[in-house]
Amino acid sequence: MELLLASAIGVFTAAGVYLVLRPRTFSVVMGLSFLTYAINFFLVSAGRLAVNMPDILAKGKELGDYADPVPPALVLTSIVISFGMTAIMVVMGVRGYFENDSDHVNITATEEMIARSRE
Amino acid sequence: MNHLLILPILLPAVIAPLLAMAVRNDIVLARVFSSAATFGLVIIGCMMVWTASDGQIRIYELGAWKAPYGIVLVLDRLSAIMVLLTACLATVVQLYSMAGWDTRGNHFYSLFHVLLMGVNGAFLTGDLFNLFVFFELLLIASYGLMVHGGGPTRFKAGLQYISINLVGSVIFLMGLGTIYSVTGTLNMAHFAERISQVPESDQALMAVGASLLLVVFSLKAALVPLHFWMPATYSNAPPPVAALFSIMSKVGVYAMIRFSDLSLLQQGGPFSALGTQLLVPCAVLTLIIGSIGVLAARSLSQQASFVGLASIGTILISFGMFTPESQAAGLYYMLHSTLAVATLFLLIDLVIVRRPGAGDGFDPQPFPQQGYLSALFFVGALFVIGLPPSSGFLGKLQILHSLRSTSEWPMLWGTILVASFVTLLGFAQTGSLVFWKSSAASKTDPHSPGENPHNELPVPDSSAKALPLAMPSVAIGVAWSLLILLMVFPGPVMSYLEATTEQLFDPQRYISAVLKPAGASEL
Amino acid sequence: MNIALIVLLPLLGSILPALMIRSGRNACVASATVVNFLAFALLLTHVPAVFFYHTTPKISWPWLASIGLNIEFWVDGLGLMFATLILGIGLLILIYARSYLSSADPMGNFYCYLLIFQAAMVGIVLSDNVILLMMFWELTSLSSFLLIGFWSHLPAGRQGARMALAVTGGGGLALLAGVLLLAQVADTYRISEILTRRDLIQNSEWFPTILVLILLGCFTKSAQFPFHFWLPRAMAAPTPVSAYLHSATMVKAGLFLLARLWPVLQNDGLWFYSVASIGLLTMLIGAVIALFQDDLKGLLAYSTISHLGLITMLLGFATPVAAAAAVFHIINHATFKAALFMNAGIVDHEAGTRDLKRLGGLMWLMPVTGIIALIATFSMAGLPPLNGYLSKEMMLEEASHTKWMGLKEVIPTLVTIAAVFSVAYSFRYFFGVFAGRVRHDYPHHPHDPPAGLWWPPTLLIMLVVAIGLRPDLLAESLVKSVTAAVIQDSPPDIHLKLWHGWTPAVTMSGIAVGGGLIVCLLTFVLRMAWDKLPRPDAKVIFDAVVHGLTRGCQLISDGVHNGSQQRYLFLIITATLSFAGWNFLSYPWAHGGRPLQPISTPLVVGWILVVASTILVVLNYHNRLYALVALGVVGLFSSIGFVYVSGIDLALTQVSVEVVTIILMLLTLFFLPKHSQPESRNWHRCRDGGLAIVAGLGMGGMSWLMMTRQWSMESIQSYFLANAKSGGGGTNVVNVILVDFRGFDTFGEITVLGCAGLAIFAMLEGLVRGKLRQRVQSWEPDVTRTADRHPILMVVVTRVMLPMAILVGMFIFLRGHNLPGGGFIAALVVSVALIMQYMASGFAWAANQVRFKYHGLIGGGILVAAATGVGAMVADRPFLTSWHDHWHPPKFLGIDFGDIEAASAMAFDLGVFLTVIGAVMLALAQYSKLGIIAVDAQVNANPMDCDPLNHQSPSTGAKPH
Repeated sequence: MELLLASAIGVFTAAGVYLVLRPRTFSVVMGLSFLTYAINFFLVSAGRLAVNMPDILAKGKELGDYADPVPPALVLTSIVISFGMTAIMVVMGVRGYFENDSDHVNITATEEMIARSRE
Repeated sequence: MNHLLILPILLPAVIAPLLAMAVRNDIVLARVFSSAATFGLVIIGCMMVWTASDGQIRIYELGAWKAPYGIVLVLDRLSAIMVLLTACLATVVQLYSMAGWDTRGNHFYSLFHVLLMGVNGAFLTGDLFNLFVFFELLLIASYGLMVHGGGPTRFKAGLQYISINLVGSVIFLMGLGTIYSVTGTLNMAHFAERISQVPESDQALMAVGASLLLVVFSLKAALVPLHFWMPATYSNAPPPVAALFSIMSKVGVYAMIRFSDLSLLQQGGPFSALGTQLLVPCAVLTLIIGSIGVLAARSLSQQASFVGLASIGTILISFGMFTPESQAAGLYYMLHSTLAVATLFLLIDLVIVRRPGAGDGFDPQPFPQQGYLSALFFVGALFVIGLPPSSGFLGKLQILHSLRSTSEWPMLWGTILVASFVTLLGFAQTGSLVFWKSSAASKTDPHSPGENPHNELPVPDSSAKALPLAMPSVAIGVAWSLLILLMVFPGPVMSYLEATTEQLFDPQRYISAVLKPAGASEL
Repeated sequence: MNIALIVLLPLLGSILPALMIRSGRNACVASATVVNFLAFALLLTHVPAVFFYHTTPKISWPWLASIGLNIEFWVDGLGLMFATLILGIGLLILIYARSYLSSADPMGNFYCYLLIFQAAMVGIVLSDNVILLMMFWELTSLSSFLLIGFWSHLPAGRQGARMALAVTGGGGLALLAGVLLLAQVADTYRISEILTRRDLIQNSEWFPTILVLILLGCFTKSAQFPFHFWLPRAMAAPTPVSAYLHSATMVKAGLFLLARLWPVLQNDGLWFYSVASIGLLTMLIGAVIALFQDDLKGLLAYSTISHLGLITMLLGFATPVAAAAAVFHIINHATFKAALFMNAGIVDHEAGTRDLKRLGGLMWLMPVTGIIALIATFSMAGLPPLNGYLSKEMMLEEASHTKWMGLKEVIPTLVTIAAVFSVAYSFRYFFGVFAGRVRHDYPHHPHDPPAGLWWPPTLLIMLVVAIGLRPDLLAESLVKSVTAAVIQDSPPDIHLKLWHGWTPAVTMSGIAVGGGLIVCLLTFVLRMAWDKLPRPDAKVIFDAVVHGLTRGCQLISDGVHNGSQQRYLFLIITATLSFAGWNFLSYPWAHGGRPLQPISTPLVVGWILVVASTILVVLNYHNRLYALVALGVVGLFSSIGFVYVSGIDLALTQVSVEVVTIILMLLTLFFLPKHSQPESRNWHRCRDGGLAIVAGLGMGGMSWLMMTRQWSMESIQSYFLANAKSGGGGTNVVNVILVDFRGFDTFGEITVLGCAGLAIFAMLEGLVRGKLRQRVQSWEPDVTRTADRHPILMVVVTRVMLPMAILVGMFIFLRGHNLPGGGFIAALVVSVALIMQYMASGFAWAANQVRFKYHGLIGGGILVAAATGVGAMVADRPFLTSWHDHWHPPKFLGIDFGDIEAASAMAFDLGVFLTVIGAVMLALAQYSKLGIIAVDAQVNANPMDCDPLNHQSPSTGAKPH
């Protein structure tokens, strides 16, 4: 199962990196969400895998009978944070779209020139 | 139990939501609350510097969970200085923003204080994942502030800034995961203790984790070749925000120094060589790219952002030597450049708003209050370039002095001096175009070559009008009086900073203070 | 003490004129003059001590001791002489400038700059610390920048200023390196100590480097060839500035330093051949060029260059007598050259032109000025009985018996040629301007100027004559003691008198005068040859260099920062991968021996689905809607994946977040184009693809390595498992970690979320209200939308759902501490239900139902969370310290609510709950408001379009096309 997870992480990362390098906001956002999936699983894998050992304390269980609770906690935090980030980014994308009439990510020389003569 | 350590985080954390819910419709109230809080931060900062000056390392166990399991805040000299610096910078920006920038969009002050919360947290925390959280905190606030006021290019630059930093966050988490999987801890001190015991079978993983963290910190610090986000961001952000940002790159520098000095560079540790031999070359490159940018810049704010980049280069050269002396010199220069660059951005804003048409560009255009502003700009440039007798000169002098013991000092001296020369050229051109030639633009002036023949003189714009200068002057005055303090009393400052770096180069004290807090947390 | 005052007075006093100008020009001048005079008087109080009792008063205050930078001043012969020149001539210049400047000029600034310069200059000559000296050195460059550019409306002024700053400032940096090295070798920063360590310095391996760097500084400052070109350009400055900075003082700073360091640097090897040769060359070139200048100030500028070269050469001879001659000539040159500049200023001021071609016969129109010029030029030409003659004789005497590379003819010959030309240009100045018949084609009507303009030069002229007549009385002892200070030794036995007998020097100056006369008469002839001569124009070259430099930098900078995020990210990711990879390879590692987990069929199916849909997204991300759906699938299945690895909270959170995210992105797609054209070039795609694959392999490989190894050191996890119940009062360890062990993280995390909500609100507010509103309104949806905006079925369903959702939310919230769940998930469930209302019945209706502000929710939530923490602080426990207790409520209607966790953590979780709802709803509500504006539909106050109760025509929200 490690193999499946590792390969999935690899695929997510690859997809994420590729999409992040695309020239449009929306694909960048999608790429970032892929990277988030990847990183979430990556963190889980940092705590080693444990199948069906949920971290719900119960009678008669040894410490060894639980999955490592730390990575899930970290992942939860990072999920929430990356949710906030994604949200702010897509909205920024929309505003940027209305500001520029384009959702292209690169700044052209002419745009810089316009920005220069701003007041 | 010394609650002082939590205050710099708690105060903004309480003020920000208050501003958002209670007084979001009344700018005056918002200003009052916000400035009160900012001033409070200054006092807290002073108290921290005072507290830390006895050389003791204090910790604060959040939720009363002892390290390494719970999160601890750690107060040593370095964190204290950084918190104070942040507070001072915040005061300057706060004062300046009250001149009107805070009304160009919503929730300026809430975001402002969230940013402060993040920065202070990053300076104080002793836990790697908590550091990540605070990084995200200051980043998300900076995203909001970056696009405060709107504008096409500003939003594009903002999008680039956010995407690059999100990739950075991913890298950060990768590093954290790797480090946790090897050392099984997130606490910096605990990590520092364990890193020397990493078995050979795991060292490669450890190395990857550590190098990923270094990459992220360098990304925040805008170290070449990870600096790409910086020029566009700084030059397109609202000038007060850009001024505030000049502390954020320092957060990256701080994290890098803290991380390397504490854990990587231990005597005989397996990772003492990791990345350190790359830092100085990259820093030199940063300095070069920065000063080239200063001469190449096509607008005032671009020039300011590149001079900021160059200063990062200088700082990191001195830090990269990893000797107490050089790092003390670097700290001094960091205190100086943070304030000096920030002030430059504010000055530039004063000029821009008075030059409709020409705006941010170099096209000479006469504008109201020109004499006063050109005097201000001259002094500001003097500080930023580091010409005598400014604190910048003292800083560079000390850096040169501290470099002389190294083997590659001739190259470094050469780079630093030539870079200052190029910067000088750049600012001389700017000054003579924006402030002198423009005064000629009103008179008839035969077009002069050598001064960038691409731009012809625009007709003086009648819509340029005198604007209030009192508040901005106060803000800039505050910053400068701080710089002048640095300049007049370098001795005391340096002795504090030297003590600071001694503390940094004795990681065992930090480790034992955090992990074996025998009364160390008490006052 | 008062040594420092000599410097501080002008420095601090410089602010006075800038202020006093407000009460008139005279007040301004008066204040400046008083300051200058006080400093001068203070200085003179030291004359007895230095010249008669041969002591050197010193002071030393610590400043930055760690690098040897202290405020250390001393007054010795050399310093005293220079300081006297600076402050004395300064006084005259201040008075002269009052009448010279026109009422249009900002006089306040002028005097302010002038005093700053004066302070810096005095600082150079009095400071006893090399770094302090350097600071003043750079300060002179800056103040001269301001003074040269004083008439900033003249392009010549601006460029001259920039050129001067570039050359002298650049040289200054070289000098900085030089003196730092010097101090390091000499192991002291105190000049008076450095001067005693000649052997240490000359024997060190760094001596050549030090010498070259220091000479660079001195030569740039003193306009020695090939750095001489800035000085003539600096003549664009007002004449008082030229007289003061560019003849009497600043350009002499370089000479001062040469003289100052003479004892430790001089030798008959490197020093002689660099300094003496450069000096000689400069002297010659300067003299020749000067002859062909038509601008009076240009002529004087080049003659200054030539005389500076003369002095440099003398210092280069490295003999005590030559040094004495140098000292003497410094004094003399200062007197007659300053007088001449003022004279040129008068001519310019009165006749309205400085062009030799247009001048002549002024002797009869302005006799006083003429006489001043006569004496000064003759002294410059070196005619007896004037002081110029005396020092020139000494120079020729020295030159006559100095060998160069063993040849004894070289120096005498060249020196004589230079002398010939200097006589020639001196004559040309005088006769060209004042002799000849009277002309009447002057712009103004020339006559002798007001006293303010003529008596300062007259004073100097008196000196010229007096010294010339009785050098033995006036100059000899001075020159001797100054020379002693220069060579740090007992002075040579020199006698200054007009007639030494028939020496070679007399012959040489005889030739010089005769030849000079001839050359002067033949100027026209020589002029033709000169104009034929191809001469490089320094200005053109300099501009070309600077411009080229700037262009080059722009090419580099624009090349590096071309604004392409794609390239930035590519480079950053590449750098990261290579750095991490390189470090991975440079450290040892081994495969871990951890047993692998079993693979189950559903897992494989899920894996295939996820990977397939990922590939789907990558392949047609242009078709954004499909891509989004596929993305949703990935998110869904990966959350199921979390269940497999025992992260149930993870799964729940992931699912709920996924839903909200997808909604958000759908809303986004509503505005953004649904399709985008493929635009990257193919090799571009391949490049990115390659990088992507490498990154994927790296990350996958890392995770594989991590998963497959045992813990090499014990993880902190066991502590949490052990203490979750006892310490945190919950059995859901993950949740306990979140709200208790690492509650601080969560506190930060909700602040992030709240902040995101606020930021989003602020951004969209700019669209909803700002100037962009029109653009939003004119926006055209690119897909046809259904007319049925609020389908009745959906309305009904969502209404029913809402209370259930809230109930579920409460349930999840309450059980969170012990079983999977918690405030965050609960909040998302509830907010999804709320969003449904917005979707179903439209923004306006929903917004009307909302009785509270979402801002308040965010703020309140964070405050609640903070309050729980502060509560602990009140009890003097650390922030966020938790207490917990169990509470078994009585059975109600036969329902057993079970054990309800009553922990402060729960209050904290409530904060989370509120913040999350607030943030999500604030963002989405604002978003949908934007949507309303975009399609400007008439807002419906009713829950649905066609109210089944009263039959009226459905109000379609479709945009009227």
